[in-house]
Amino acid sequence: MNKQTPPRNSNRRALIWEQIVRCLPELEGKTPTMVLSSDLTVADCTPQIGYAALVDDVFYIIEHERERARYPISAMTEFHATSGIGEVALECLCDGRLTVLCRGDLSHQNEYATIAKRINHYIDTGLFDPEYDKSYNRYCPKCGRKYRAGSNICMHCVDKGRIFSRLWEIARPYKWHLLLSVILFFAITGMNMIGPYLNRLLVDEFITPMASNRFSEFALVILSMFVLRLLTKLVSWGRSMSLIHAGNRIIVRLREMVFDKVQMLSISKISKRTAGEIMQRVTGDTAEIQQFIVNRLANIVEQLLILVGISIMLFIEDWRLALMIILPIPICSIFMRMFWRYTHRIYHKQWITNAKASTVLHDIFSGIRVVKAFGMEHYEMERYDKITYQEAQISAKNERFYAIFRPLVDFFMRIGEYFLLVYVGNAILGGDMTLGEMAQFSSYVSMLYSGPVFLIANIQRMLTRIYTSIVKVFDLLDEDVEIGDKDSAKDIEIVGQISFDNVHFGYDDATEVLKGITLDIQPGEFIGIVGKSGVGKSTLINLVMRLYEVEDGAIRIDGEDIRDLSQECLRSQIGVVLQETFLFSGSIYDNIAYAKPDATRDEIIAASKIAGAHEFIMKLPDGYNTKVGEKGHTLSGGERQRVSIARALLHNPRILILDEATASLDTETEKQIQDALQKLSKNRTTLAIAHRLSTLRNATRLIVLDKGKIAEVGTHDELVRKQGIYYGLVMAQRQMSKMTHDN
Amino acid sequence: MAETQTQVSALDAVVKIRYLDDTNAVFSEQDGFLSLKTTQPNEEGADEEQTYERVFLHSAFPFDMPYSYISVLDKDQKEIGMIRELSALSEATQKILRGELGRKYYAPRIKKILSVKERYGFSYWRVDLENASDFSFTVQDTYRSMLKVDHEHVFIVDVDGNRFEIPSVEALDRASYKKIELYL
Repeated sequence: MNKQTPPRNSNRRALIWEQIVRCLPELEGKTPTMVLSSDLTVADCTPQIGYAALVDDVFYIIEHERERARYPISAMTEFHATSGIGEVALECLCDGRLTVLCRGDLSHQNEYATIAKRINHYIDTGLFDPEYDKSYNRYCPKCGRKYRAGSNICMHCVDKGRIFSRLWEIARPYKWHLLLSVILFFAITGMNMIGPYLNRLLVDEFITPMASNRFSEFALVILSMFVLRLLTKLVSWGRSMSLIHAGNRIIVRLREMVFDKVQMLSISKISKRTAGEIMQRVTGDTAEIQQFIVNRLANIVEQLLILVGISIMLFIEDWRLALMIILPIPICSIFMRMFWRYTHRIYHKQWITNAKASTVLHDIFSGIRVVKAFGMEHYEMERYDKITYQEAQISAKNERFYAIFRPLVDFFMRIGEYFLLVYVGNAILGGDMTLGEMAQFSSYVSMLYSGPVFLIANIQRMLTRIYTSIVKVFDLLDEDVEIGDKDSAKDIEIVGQISFDNVHFGYDDATEVLKGITLDIQPGEFIGIVGKSGVGKSTLINLVMRLYEVEDGAIRIDGEDIRDLSQECLRSQIGVVLQETFLFSGSIYDNIAYAKPDATRDEIIAASKIAGAHEFIMKLPDGYNTKVGEKGHTLSGGERQRVSIARALLHNPRILILDEATASLDTETEKQIQDALQKLSKNRTTLAIAHRLSTLRNATRLIVLDKGKIAEVGTHDELVRKQGIYYGLVMAQRQMSKMTHDN
Repeated sequence: MAETQTQVSALDAVVKIRYLDDTNAVFSEQDGFLSLKTTQPNEEGADEEQTYERVFLHSAFPFDMPYSYISVLDKDQKEIGMIRELSALSEATQKILRGELGRKYYAPRIKKILSVKERYGFSYWRVDLENASDFSFTVQDTYRSMLKVDHEHVFIVDVDGNRFEIPSVEALDRASYKKIELYL
């Protein structure tokens, strides 16, 4: 939600402070530790202008531009943000009593959560991050509007010239093709204008004087007309070819750039955008740019050249006539635009009902079993009838409108021609103009009123559309690559010792998932990670793979900070089996060999055997060549999991990460795989997450995570004896399995 | 009919929903926080009291029955019980609960739409609210950001997740209606 008057300055913090000092002059000259804004009253959510500040360890709250309360920070603990459906409140304990400090609409959500975290940190350590507001105070320095999440471009203020010049940079290698196209454009326009001139010659020189004795000249004119038309077609063809060639190359280049960029970005940047949105950038928006270069740009250039060329010709011939023809063009364009806008509106409505109807249809057909099972056929029939009837009605109404108004519009567009006829007729009768000249003029007029008028009416819309696509594509291309290799990045032969040194991490600034993890893992150890859902187990292994960067502290492998290793070196020596097993479209063989394309068939079969996949693969008619993925054979969850275990084992990783790798398997298959892995994991460091605790019975040590910290470490027996969190989990599972056995 | 009867009683027998009303629950408010004291017969039949320092409310049908079937949650978001009908409670309790619901479901009402500008996939709205005039907000993917309760009642969700309510689009003035018509 934007405030009524967004501050037109990037330095929001300074502006808020200015306002606070205005409301509380006693604070003049002091330096605030932190400031924030609020826009709803604490008591009843009425809009107001309010602020809060932490100054010299006193928390000041301003509501309706007046001080509402102040508390010494020494009396305050446990800051937190609580969100409702339409508001968020910053709360804390004041002298042990729960207190609401300030309230804002949901645009403050991130602000309050971050501030709460920072103040708690301040209370604990006495340190306050001076850059505390950098994650939420992201405003366009020019217009003060808030940046959209994940974007660094303000759609309002972005420099259009710069954006198009960047597109030119990509197009530059194809400049000769583009130049050729431009030359051919000029040629085509020239030829288009010669046509009417030949017509005039024909009428004035041969038809009006009835010159039957000059047949050869007459034939020559006819022949020129024929050649001219042929040439026009040929040149148009050449122009299209050259444009298509350049356009396609430019798009391939742009697509590669976008795709490479997406691959380079860290998971945290990618997961800010949906897969659909990225697909749209890679294919949709680039296709839009291609369309523009190949079709629309050609059209725009062509029409503009016609407009300019004919205008010049007309002015040379007769300036009064030229004015009569050209002056109405802007008026007609406005008229066309209005007509187009209205038709767009009514057809958009039709399109929406149409979409609704197909949604209903889609629902019914994909849920046909449910519809039949509950005997709802008649209900669905009625529902569909109703919406198609609605659609038909709107469509009929629109067709009626179009049928009446389109001819009317055409008629008005041509009304100028009658005035022209009066003028020209007069001129002919007075002997100031020939019949041939009239023919030439009227050709020009119809050329002008068919193309350029339409162009002027629509050019803004066309440019906006292409411009949106270009901005979106560059927005992605400009994204910082967060996790990059250092210039001095090392490639090492990993032995398998991993150490966590006071690791802190949160997916955003507002919440901390891991709060100081310290742990040493020796090469060859099998570490089981347990804990409740959402406690940070997967986060921990994501950090080892360096899919995200640690916020504070360090992770070291064989004594080297993983930030000093090349990502290639790191990931090629870690094998991962994730909970969500993804198989690419292709054969089972392709999927197993994914990370090691040069693997021999023997290696692949061996890996599959260890993973327990070989048996089921050999039962498939096409064996390892069986197609899987989107259009292929459907494997069960357990089968997919075994294929991905084989994939992880294939490149013989020094570190093996198993995130619920055997969760979809039955207990017996799981045990087989466990035993195989046990043999395999002798010289391998293994990190395994599992909810089913029996999966971890081979672990040398178990790590119990709780609330982002390591709560317990030890072997199964040690932890059971300790009767702590792990013991509780074991007991709960034992009871569950007992219940299942009893049943 | 007989079949439905047995079915209902069967569901009822499996899950016991605890309904809170004036006889077994006392709500109070302090410093803007809602607290609750409940009484419930324990296994021996004696009344057992329990106090919750802070409770939260969550409406089961916020769109079409905002004041019925309200879940009462403890500080860990575990349900203590449900209020079947707010209007069945005492005036004083109703006032407290309505205040709490009003805060949590804060959604200013739009009186008039001044302008809607589409630009690069976003729409920029200027509206008059019931409690503020010439207010502006931004909506992404406008058509999909319309929460349509029924053919009249609409919520517009802005980029931050704030909701703006239009109780009846047909009751809007004609100029406002034309601005929103295409998104409905």
